[in-house]
Amino acid sequence: MKMRKIFLLFASAILSFGILSGQAKKPTLMVVPSDNWCKQNGFMLKFDNQGTIEELPDYKKALQGSSDLILVIAKISQLMADRGFPCKLLEQELKKLSQESAEDAMLTSKTGSGVAESPIDKLYKSAKADIILQVTWAVNTTGPKKSVTFVLQGIDAYTGKQIASASGTGAPSFSAELPVLLEEAVLAHIDNFNNQLQAHFDDMFANGREIIVRIKKFDSWPDDFETEYDGKELGQIIEEWFQNNTVKGRFNTTDATANFMLFEQVRIPLYDANGKAMDARAYLRGLQNYLKNPPYNLTSKLMIKGLGQATLVIGEK
Amino acid sequence: MKKTGWYLALSALFLLMSASPVLSQARAKKKAMRDMEAFRYEIECVGTGVEGTYLIKVWTYSKKPKVAIEQSKKNAVHGVIFKGFAGGGRGCTSQKPLASSPAVEDEYSEFFDKFFADGGDYMRYVSLSNDGSIDSEDRLKVGKEYKIGVVVSVMKDQLRKDLEKAGIIKALDAGF
Repeated sequence: MKMRKIFLLFASAILSFGILSGQAKKPTLMVVPSDNWCKQNGFMLKFDNQGTIEELPDYKKALQGSSDLILVIAKISQLMADRGFPCKLLEQELKKLSQESAEDAMLTSKTGSGVAESPIDKLYKSAKADIILQVTWAVNTTGPKKSVTFVLQGIDAYTGKQIASASGTGAPSFSAELPVLLEEAVLAHIDNFNNQLQAHFDDMFANGREIIVRIKKFDSWPDDFETEYDGKELGQIIEEWFQNNTVKGRFNTTDATANFMLFEQVRIPLYDANGKAMDARAYLRGLQNYLKNPPYNLTSKLMIKGLGQATLVIGEK
Repeated sequence: MKKTGWYLALSALFLLMSASPVLSQARAKKKAMRDMEAFRYEIECVGTGVEGTYLIKVWTYSKKPKVAIEQSKKNAVHGVIFKGFAGGGRGCTSQKPLASSPAVEDEYSEFFDKFFADGGDYMRYVSLSNDGSIDSEDRLKVGKEYKIGVVVSVMKDQLRKDLEKAGIIKALDAGF
């Protein structure tokens, strides 16, 4: 009996240590060619957007048409994996998406029901990662000499901020072939890029993860963000919640109208009170629960985009 | 008796004379180590090395060229950890040091004293790229001492991994 008690004590101690020493959610990385590179190399997709012809990068065509792009993606992915960040492969993500949509189209239950998918679900289905590594290069030719100008940018997919970059022009060469020059360029720049990425992570651990939060209302809800509760407008109450629940009270109210609020540079803690890793969804669930309780009694719908963007729509589920 | 005294004096003189180059070499080595600790060496990029390495030229100061050549290996590893180097021509890119600040050297002095000792672990990460032969333009006489430029290859990826394991520097994925 005594032994059993000791065992239980040990087991619970190990379990609680596991929870408390939880690790922050690791951002996913994906290497993508820049729009500029796609345009320069003719890998664009034209489509008619309600009368306006728009161009978008055609990643599938680029991956099928450029061996150099495959080489650059493979090299960067290999070097990032060495540093503990295996990258999502753009080609595999695109394949996965098309396979998934084919499977969803074929999937039916025994009673003949299909898979539920709202328009917003369809919109969100795209190849995505938390940090996009965007590559651009251009070949410079001077007489018989060739050199490569290489740009690598790390972009936070949610805030749109450039969090790391490295660029430069390699040594001109008479004989080296383009793949060799590209490989050299990646090797020359990856360490500086990773140094900046490290600085970004250090800042994140010190000041919290930066996210973007949108608060909207369904038009079926008769109230709005100017509705008062105990003499305070709902918008003000929400702002106070952010003040109390962000790291060092850091956030910006970028837009605030009666129907819509946009909060940017919202610094959320990496762990919750129980030591579990936190992302935008877990964070905004706190506000959702806060508004669900009296005196507000508000129902809301929570939607996310990856680790760093969340939207709360008040009024309905 | 007198003869024995002469023999003793002569053998002491002989010992002193034969030990003198060894002592002076040891003094030169100590001086070179002090120079390294005071960052008295220069590093320049020579080109993009093979994957996982930096190809650099290290300029080391010493009265004895042989000591300078040997010390340049230590200086190269020291520079990659604490100093970094500037880019410039030949498609070279500036590189930051592996350690986040030079204070790391004092903080982990016990580790680095052993690491940079003669025959220490630093040897595992560095190799002379031209078997130690020095070009005439890389052997300069500056006042009473020589300034020797040696091209070395530093295995920076392996060095970084081992320093991360030892807890000296932080891994990129630390905390995730």
